[in-house]
Amino acid sequence: MEEKIRKHIDGLFAGAPKTRKAMDLKEEMTQNTIEKYQDLIGEGYQEEDAWQMVTASIGDVTELFHELEEPDLFLSEEDRRKKAILKAAAIGLYILAGVVLFAWMIISESYFYSAPDLGMFGMIAAGLLCIPPTCLLVYAANMYPDYGKKEKNMVESYQEARRARNREKALKGSISAIIWLATLIVYFIVSFVTQEWGVTWIAFLMGGCAQAVLFLVFSLKSESKS
Amino acid sequence: MSITSDILRGHTEAIILAHLLEKDSYGYQINKDIMKKTDNQCELKEATLYSAFRRLEQAGYIRTYWGDEKVGARRRYYSITEDGRRAYRAYKRDWEEAKAVIDQLLR
Repeated sequence: MEEKIRKHIDGLFAGAPKTRKAMDLKEEMTQNTIEKYQDLIGEGYQEEDAWQMVTASIGDVTELFHELEEPDLFLSEEDRRKKAILKAAAIGLYILAGVVLFAWMIISESYFYSAPDLGMFGMIAAGLLCIPPTCLLVYAANMYPDYGKKEKNMVESYQEARRARNREKALKGSISAIIWLATLIVYFIVSFVTQEWGVTWIAFLMGGCAQAVLFLVFSLKSESKS
Repeated sequence: MSITSDILRGHTEAIILAHLLEKDSYGYQINKDIMKKTDNQCELKEATLYSAFRRLEQAGYIRTYWGDEKVGARRRYYSITEDGRRAYRAYKRDWEEAKAVIDQLLR
C-alpha cells in the first residue's frame, strides 16, 4: 500500500517543477499520507475506504507548484549575478590587454624606430594582463553555492559533495591557467633575451612539473582535511 | 459550516504557529491535533497546510528539518523561530481586537 501511495503522489507531482523544494515536498506529503493511512487502518477502516479518505484529503497540489520554482537547482540569484559580474570583468580585462598591445605597437613603432625587441614587451604585458581574466572565467564557469544547512538528507549531502568537487575543479583550473600562461611568458622572455630557441622549450616541461607538484600538494591537503 | 472553514482557512498560518509554540511538529501531527481539539469537526486540506508551511518558512517564522526515524519514511519537522513567536503574539493581539469588534457588531 505504501508503494501505491508513493505512486499516487508521484503522479500528482508529475507536472511540478524539478527542484529540490518540490522533491522535499513530495517526500513530506508521502510520509504524512502513509502515516495517516496507517492510522486509519489502525482505527479499523477498510483498506479501500482508508485509501479514498487519504487521497481525497490531499486536495489540489497544483496550486503549490508555483511556490516550488527555483531559477536554478544549484545556483542562487545572488551567485548568478556574481557570475555575470566576473564574466564582464574578464571580458573588460581581455579588451584592456588588446588595447595595451596595440598601443605599445604604435608607440614603439613611432618613437623607437629600430628596436624590434621593444615590441616584445608589449606582447608580454598583454599576456600578463590575460592571466587574471582567464582565472576569473574558469572560476565563474565552475562556481557553485555553498549550502550552510544543518539538516541534510541524502540528496543534499550528495549535492554538497558534488559542489565541493566542483569547487576543487575550479581551483585546479585556475592554477593550471596561471601556470601555463606564466610558462608561455617566461618562455618568450627567456628565448628573446638569450636567443637560445633550441633550449628554452624546456620551460614547458618545467611548467608540466610545476602543475603536477601543485596538484599533488593540493590533493594531499584536501585529503588531510576530510 | 462553510463560514467556519472559510474563517479557519484565513487563520491557517496562525493556527500552525500556535501549535509549534509548545513543541516541534510535522504536517500530519498538526492536522491530527487540530481534529482532536475541534472534535473531528475541522481538518485542513493538505494543500492548504503545505502552502502555509512554505509561506511561513519564506517569512522566516518557522524552520524545517528532517527527523531521523529509523523505520519508514522520515518526517519533516517544523520549529518556530523567534520571529515566528513575535509574529504570533502580534497576530493574537489583532485577533482579540477583531473578535471583540465582531462580537459587538453581531450582538
